[in-house]
Amino acid sequence: MSILKNKTAVTEEYQESLQPGSFKYIWRHLSHDKGAIAGMIAISLILIICFLSPYIFKYDFATIDMVNKNAKPSMEHLFGCDELGRDIMVRVFYGARYTLSIGVLSTAIAAVIGVALGAIAGYFGGRFDTLLMRALDILQAFPQLVLATLVSAVLGPGLDKCIIALAVSGIAGYARMMRANILNVRGQEYIEAAKSIDCSTSRIITSHVIPNAISPIIVQVCMGIASSGLNASALSFLGLGVQPPEPEWGAMLSSARNLIRQYPHMAIFPGLFIMITVVSLNLIGDSLRDALDPKLRD
Amino acid sequence: MTQEKNDVKLLEIKDLEVRYRSGGRSVHAVNGVSLSVDRGEILGLVGETGAGKTTIAKSILRILPDHATQSVSGEILFEGEDLLKAKKNRMTAIRGYKISMIFQDPMTALNPIMPVNKQIAEDIQLHMGVSKREAIERANQMLETVGISADRGGEYPHQFSGGMKQRVVIAMALACRPDLLLADEPTTALDVTIQAQVLELIANLQKELKTAMILITHDLGVVAGVCDKVAVVYAGEILEWGTKEEIFDYPKHPYTKGLFGALPDLSKKVRRLSSIDGLPPDPTNLPPGCPFAPRCQKATDECREGTIELSELNPDHRVRCIHID
Amino acid sequence: MGRYVMKRILQIIPIILIVSILIFAIMSLVPSDPITIIMSQTSATAEEIEAAREAAGYNDPFMIRLGNYLRKLYLHGDMGNSFKTGSPVMTDLLSRLPITFRLAFGSIFVAVVIGIPLGVLSAVRAGTLTDRMTMFFTLMLNSMPNFWLALMLVLLFALRLKLLPSNGTGGLDHYILPVIANSIGAVAGIARQTRASVLEVIRSDFVTTARSKGLSERVVIWKHALPNGLIPVITSCGTFFGRLLGGSMVIEMTFSLPGVGSYMINGINNRDYDCVQGAMLYIAFIFAITMLVVDLLYAFIDPRIKAQYAAGSAKKVKKGATA
Repeated sequence: MSILKNKTAVTEEYQESLQPGSFKYIWRHLSHDKGAIAGMIAISLILIICFLSPYIFKYDFATIDMVNKNAKPSMEHLFGCDELGRDIMVRVFYGARYTLSIGVLSTAIAAVIGVALGAIAGYFGGRFDTLLMRALDILQAFPQLVLATLVSAVLGPGLDKCIIALAVSGIAGYARMMRANILNVRGQEYIEAAKSIDCSTSRIITSHVIPNAISPIIVQVCMGIASSGLNASALSFLGLGVQPPEPEWGAMLSSARNLIRQYPHMAIFPGLFIMITVVSLNLIGDSLRDALDPKLRD
Repeated sequence: MTQEKNDVKLLEIKDLEVRYRSGGRSVHAVNGVSLSVDRGEILGLVGETGAGKTTIAKSILRILPDHATQSVSGEILFEGEDLLKAKKNRMTAIRGYKISMIFQDPMTALNPIMPVNKQIAEDIQLHMGVSKREAIERANQMLETVGISADRGGEYPHQFSGGMKQRVVIAMALACRPDLLLADEPTTALDVTIQAQVLELIANLQKELKTAMILITHDLGVVAGVCDKVAVVYAGEILEWGTKEEIFDYPKHPYTKGLFGALPDLSKKVRRLSSIDGLPPDPTNLPPGCPFAPRCQKATDECREGTIELSELNPDHRVRCIHID
Repeated sequence: MGRYVMKRILQIIPIILIVSILIFAIMSLVPSDPITIIMSQTSATAEEIEAAREAAGYNDPFMIRLGNYLRKLYLHGDMGNSFKTGSPVMTDLLSRLPITFRLAFGSIFVAVVIGIPLGVLSAVRAGTLTDRMTMFFTLMLNSMPNFWLALMLVLLFALRLKLLPSNGTGGLDHYILPVIANSIGAVAGIARQTRASVLEVIRSDFVTTARSKGLSERVVIWKHALPNGLIPVITSCGTFFGRLLGGSMVIEMTFSLPGVGSYMINGINNRDYDCVQGAMLYIAFIFAITMLVVDLLYAFIDPRIKAQYAAGSAKKVKKGATA
């Protein structure tokens, strides 16, 4: 008897662990994936230091110190100083907020608008669908970064405008993806099964269509934050996004570029931090994809 | 005793054990299976989904998925040669030539971007040592044999229906006249009306080519129609094994009886079909003793703890149970 | 098939037309215009500026300006003139096109030629050290901003080792660093995509079938797994090309290469909007043509898609599920 009891308990646990999509399952997967853990730790560390930087560092990101102009890395200034003697380490950590907030906000805006449009088009079809698809064709006639450049050329420089530019250039991808997911899910047999047991339309949409269509979007959002951050730094590097003297990583690289011959340290650290941030986000995204799409797992 | 008469069996499996790994757990898919097949004989492997039938068949050809397979042990003797120890190029010479396989789902079993006759010809060219042209020719003939017009040979899988695709798979499997055919639920994925046709086709070709066959199925009706012998598989073990007549007329194991109880019998008036309570055990955590014990009404402590051996009732019937009447 | 190709080519025309209208519309949202910018630097009065604007047609209704723009563009191939240099935008762009071509197509070539074999290698050796190392490095490289990589490459190869030129045009050696900087991310991306796709195919049923026929592992991989695994990769190559085209804009700026992208960025910085409009249109056109080629390639490889096209119907055939 005791064996029997024991066995059912184990079976339940086994089945529970096989519920893909549940928050617990995803979390379990993420917390067992070394890459995802490394990514989450790196992002958290950068964020914590970023927001605590006024309390941690002796210097402010904007403190000009002409004595230490172009100073090479030293114990006093671990990453060295820039052309105005500002401490690069402080600036780099402080600058995390730009890349991450642009990445998160522009992706969120693009995803919300894109998902809504795609879901409506996919679920109801008809004229709206045709119209939307043609509009997306036009929007996607430009490479994403080129479209973002065009929009920010019109809007002008600035943090908020940079977010809008990147959001606009991202909408089409999410809309297309959501539409395809909805169409795919709609045709699945479990939807028919749900209909056949007299599930209400709203219940079908909320508990079957959306959860199944949204999981690829979640992964895409995570990857989107990464690529949006990269594009943000590219825009700033081109002089279009966030402008100096704000310590945005791309903007820092843009000013460091002219001094690279003499003071390469100025160009190394901001780029390194872009890379660490993007790698971390991609690691989390990869792990999320594995968790949400068991098909690809080993 | 029979062993002495026909020196070697076509296929003899001894103590086959296969473990998969899945999410850090070890899945006990096959646990000490022993069986044999004579030339020209049809053995039915019967059992529920997940009982390990397909794994047994894939082990014979050594085409288990590498990434998921943890270990394979035991012996698989084909004409006396242990396939589990055979070299890689020896296996490629056997696959498709001496032993071939029909897969469960014809929708996914064919390469979507290669014409069907080319897929069949590949096989022929490789093993029969004929020219490419000759191979295509024979492939087209093979298509005719399974009831597909030869001029459709150049078409792609997506241009065929499910039943037709399965015919193509059958043509491919039998193209080199293998000694042993492994048919893994060849009709499960098909429409009921097509199932009978395809089964009949396989049975006829089997007779014609005198190929031995292991027919994997969960359908006792299929077994009754086609097989010479039957092995009942449960949780990776064979619970009962014997000739079709023995198993159908005198089932001994409670599980086998349960399976028959779940079949409608027109000659008797039964209000309700009986079913077996419970579910098969979790393969990552098998109970000690008889795997069926947790669901068995006759189970005693001995069943739950000790290892139950396959015992021979007569040369045509073996059963793994200590509570037979 | 031939008819389909024609149809797809013709489909580009309305897209380019609408894109040019869209670019014009977006650019007309910019509050200032070249004349105001130039003249406000002189001693001209507000009335004089207004008169000059009126004469140049800036005060015309939007539809009339658009009509003029489209007429000049499509009937005379006239994209306007750069107000900074006075030279026709069309001529400028045509002379800059080869540089962008070399950079963008060179990059996609490198990305495909290195990325695909790398991904295949990784997939075939899934789980081994080779695979892990490849995946680790491609993750890093895929996450690097290309302009930063460009700076680091210049630092190492041009400034420290003095092996290659750090900027400007000239011989082919001037393109080595730009192409590497631009393509590395795509090399990594394509490699990862290829690995995932090939891995999925390697585990699919028809590959098991191919194995069960006794084909050698080499034939199974090259004849059955790869052609199928590469179909999704081809689609993603189109997307990667878009990324590279956007990337070349940044790379051209970093290496001071006078291409279409740097022309556009300079146009934005100088508020030289005819230049920006023209460059945008060029980029959209190159992108559209490339996507068309990708589409056709796709049809060429996958008989299911080809059949759809041959039938001439827009009906989407569900993958592999025709009864």
